[in-house]
Amino acid sequence: MNLPVIFTIILLLPLISAAVITLFLRRSGKLAECASVGSGFLIMGLSLYVLLTWNGQTFHQSWEWLRFGNFSYSMGYLFDNQASLMLLVVSFVAGWIQLFSVGYMDEDEAQGRFFGGLSIFMFSMLGIVLADNLVMLFVFWELVGFSSYMLIAHYYKTDFANMASRKAFIVNRIGDFGFVVGIVWCYHHYGTLDLQTLANIITAHPDLLGTGAAVGIGLLIMCGFVGKSAQFPIQVWLTDAMAGPTPVSALIHAATMVAAGIYLMARVFFLLPPFTQEWIMWSGAGMTAFAGLCALGQTDIKKSLAYSTLSHLGYMATALGLGYPGLALFHMAMHACFKATLFLGAGSVIHACHHEQDIYKMGGLLRRMPITAITFAIASLSICAMPFFAGYYSKDSIISAAYLMGANHGAVFYGVYVLVFVGAVCTSLYMGRLFFVVFLGQPRSEHAEHAHESSAFMTIPLIILGFLSLTAGWVVYGWTWDNGHMIWLLPASCVQVFIGDFNLIAKQVESSSLGHPLEILDIVLGVAAIIATYFFYGRARTGDPLAAKAPGVYHLLERHGWFDDFYDWYVAKVQQPVCEMFGSFDKLFIEFGCVWGTGLATGLTGSLLKRAYVGSLHAYVYWFFAGVILFWAYAVGWL
Amino acid sequence: MTPGLQAYLTVAGVLFAIGFAGVLLRRNVLIIYMCLELMLTASTLALVAFSRFNGTMDGAIFVFFIITVAAAEVAVGLAIIVALYRRRRTIQVDELNYLKN
Amino acid sequence: MAAFFFYFFSALSILAALFVVLNREAVNSAMCMIVSFVGVAALFVLLEAYFLAVLQVLVYAGAVMVLFLFIIMLLDTRERNRPRLGGFNLFAGVVSLILLAAGAAWLAHQFPLSVAPQAAPLMPPDDNPLAYATSAKAFGYGLFTRYMLPFQVTGFLLLIAMVGVIVLSKRPAAPPANEPQR
Repeated sequence: MNLPVIFTIILLLPLISAAVITLFLRRSGKLAECASVGSGFLIMGLSLYVLLTWNGQTFHQSWEWLRFGNFSYSMGYLFDNQASLMLLVVSFVAGWIQLFSVGYMDEDEAQGRFFGGLSIFMFSMLGIVLADNLVMLFVFWELVGFSSYMLIAHYYKTDFANMASRKAFIVNRIGDFGFVVGIVWCYHHYGTLDLQTLANIITAHPDLLGTGAAVGIGLLIMCGFVGKSAQFPIQVWLTDAMAGPTPVSALIHAATMVAAGIYLMARVFFLLPPFTQEWIMWSGAGMTAFAGLCALGQTDIKKSLAYSTLSHLGYMATALGLGYPGLALFHMAMHACFKATLFLGAGSVIHACHHEQDIYKMGGLLRRMPITAITFAIASLSICAMPFFAGYYSKDSIISAAYLMGANHGAVFYGVYVLVFVGAVCTSLYMGRLFFVVFLGQPRSEHAEHAHESSAFMTIPLIILGFLSLTAGWVVYGWTWDNGHMIWLLPASCVQVFIGDFNLIAKQVESSSLGHPLEILDIVLGVAAIIATYFFYGRARTGDPLAAKAPGVYHLLERHGWFDDFYDWYVAKVQQPVCEMFGSFDKLFIEFGCVWGTGLATGLTGSLLKRAYVGSLHAYVYWFFAGVILFWAYAVGWL
Repeated sequence: MTPGLQAYLTVAGVLFAIGFAGVLLRRNVLIIYMCLELMLTASTLALVAFSRFNGTMDGAIFVFFIITVAAAEVAVGLAIIVALYRRRRTIQVDELNYLKN
Repeated sequence: MAAFFFYFFSALSILAALFVVLNREAVNSAMCMIVSFVGVAALFVLLEAYFLAVLQVLVYAGAVMVLFLFIIMLLDTRERNRPRLGGFNLFAGVVSLILLAAGAAWLAHQFPLSVAPQAAPLMPPDDNPLAYATSAKAFGYGLFTRYMLPFQVTGFLLLIAMVGVIVLSKRPAAPPANEPQR
């Protein structure tokens, strides 16, 4: 099988779908849906085919695209284990979410635009997955940002969606600026941007990582990760991005795009010196705890899930910072499964309640929407890392790794462990709150009373992804079949990415004294938290009981630690006056002086010369005569 | 004393100067035009004198063309002056200053 | 004898030209102009360019000046066509006159004192067809061999002039709204 051809087909198929939709199918929503969903499933099929028949050898091929003097920009494919896992996650989850969107957007009036946007997003994301050098990755990075902007602004008639999409794009740009500077510096320092070549250089000269340049490059490339994956301090765009339709939130802001940052970090992991890793670890762990707490202060179901996403991105960042990129990718894959299920479930609920998103207007939906409720419950248990659910293996691995870091490298790192532990408890708290408020109790509004189970378009993806949230983690038990090609439900090549780290951590936990007991403590606390939330929130009628009982804390959590307010103040009071100062400078000297001034000077010269036009014939004859004398003097030689 | 080349040239020069003075000093556009023709005539005289004293026909043939062109030019110029008069009702050049500023 | 005629006719031309410039009436100026042209034609005769002399009288004095007279009488020449000899104009006029005359005189004396050549033949010699001769055939020869192109172009020029004059003389369809009434 010809890998470059298949990859090109996988990459170009969504682009062709987007082009066809944009050119021809803008009006006909149904055909656009067929095109997009068709291409999505084709991609899923082709990806599975590639993964099943791949022999595990790293595949790298590139073609020169542009050349500027010494610098040549090439596009190519680098397909190794990491790419295979990411490809599987992206194509699989995206295919089912596209099917879900058919059901969710059935009453929407701009289906063509939506599915075109989904196709463009697929193209961009697959480009990031398959890219082999940093420039190509950056190009598709920006394309993903654009697709996100376009899809968030789907309901562009509302101010909130417009502002949210702009905020997402601009905040992403701030991160991308650091990314671009990092890429340029990387090229300047190492002489190449090809990932494999860079890896070879670093393995050949490990001492290169000790230089200041490496630290700088690592931090700057991390800026891209910070922007795209909503890390501290620019995580403010992700919650506003919930203004987009729910499938968009599920696909882009939970499963794939925000994971692109993690993927980038895993790809360039060899470039990161220890300082950068520590920074990522601490900021990730902090975000885990903080976002987990903030999720308790939201009444919008999607915002709550968005903070949950932030929290889990913190987990993945912590894993990266601890030095286990494989674990980060493992958690990313599991997170894609259960977070997509949660968002799709939320979408199903929102759709059934006629686009009502406040959880205190829902309730009692367990009876009315059983499939949604059960899949939501499975995914919730998975995200709370209950044993044998998919989330348990990845999340507990990370928590144990954090503990081991503290045990082996110094007590200060116990702080990381405490933070992720708090985050885990918060997960149970907010997920329990969410489930009990939305699905149990009595319906709190008209819409909730009349809700009914969603169509098959929506329930089938829910079932499939819910099933995966339950069982996907069992790959760690190593049940191989198909001649060693497949391990449980994942191709072996994908599992290779993380199984090494996982087993390493598991062994270390065995050998350490407190490893197991702490795990059990974690599980027990999680279960206790869920039961506590049942009693605390399950009886609530309207309004949040926490808001009633501890309004100060609730306000802090609701305002998201006043991050947004701080940035608003900064932009309005600090940045704007500086810009206005520059603007007036520009207006005064450049616009007024140079541009207007040259026009003025020319006009004055013209006015002066206009004096010569006296209108008198005789004057013109005198001028003529003067010219003749001049010429004559020159000819004679007097001049 | 038989007139030599200089004599003829002097006459031509004086005629030219008088014509030039007329162009500069008169305000009636028709008289200015007539003085222009005077200047042309002076140049034809100089040309014929040169032609005669050099012994070739070139100067005389050139004069032939000058006379023709001057006739055509007078026709067109007078048509323009008439059209201008119809518009402005004046033939004094200091009142025909619509190109001013 | 030739010298006398030369002085007489050149004085006539110059005086008539002066009267053209200094006269108050336009018609008088035109008449003096005709006299001046006749004087120049006589000078042509003295230079043995008989064809050109006849041409000068026919075309210039006969056609061009008649045309001038037509137009002078057509247009309403007012009282104020006296040369206004106000300060700057007079000064500039005199200065330019002196300059011009001086220049012409200087130019004239650049050339060596030349003796009048022998009388021009009627026909040009065969070995030098463009030598100075008095017959019309000499003109014809030069016009149709060496100066053929200017000859044809002049034909075109005359056609264009005719067309131009017709176009310029057409009355506008409607009289313009606001004519400056003087």
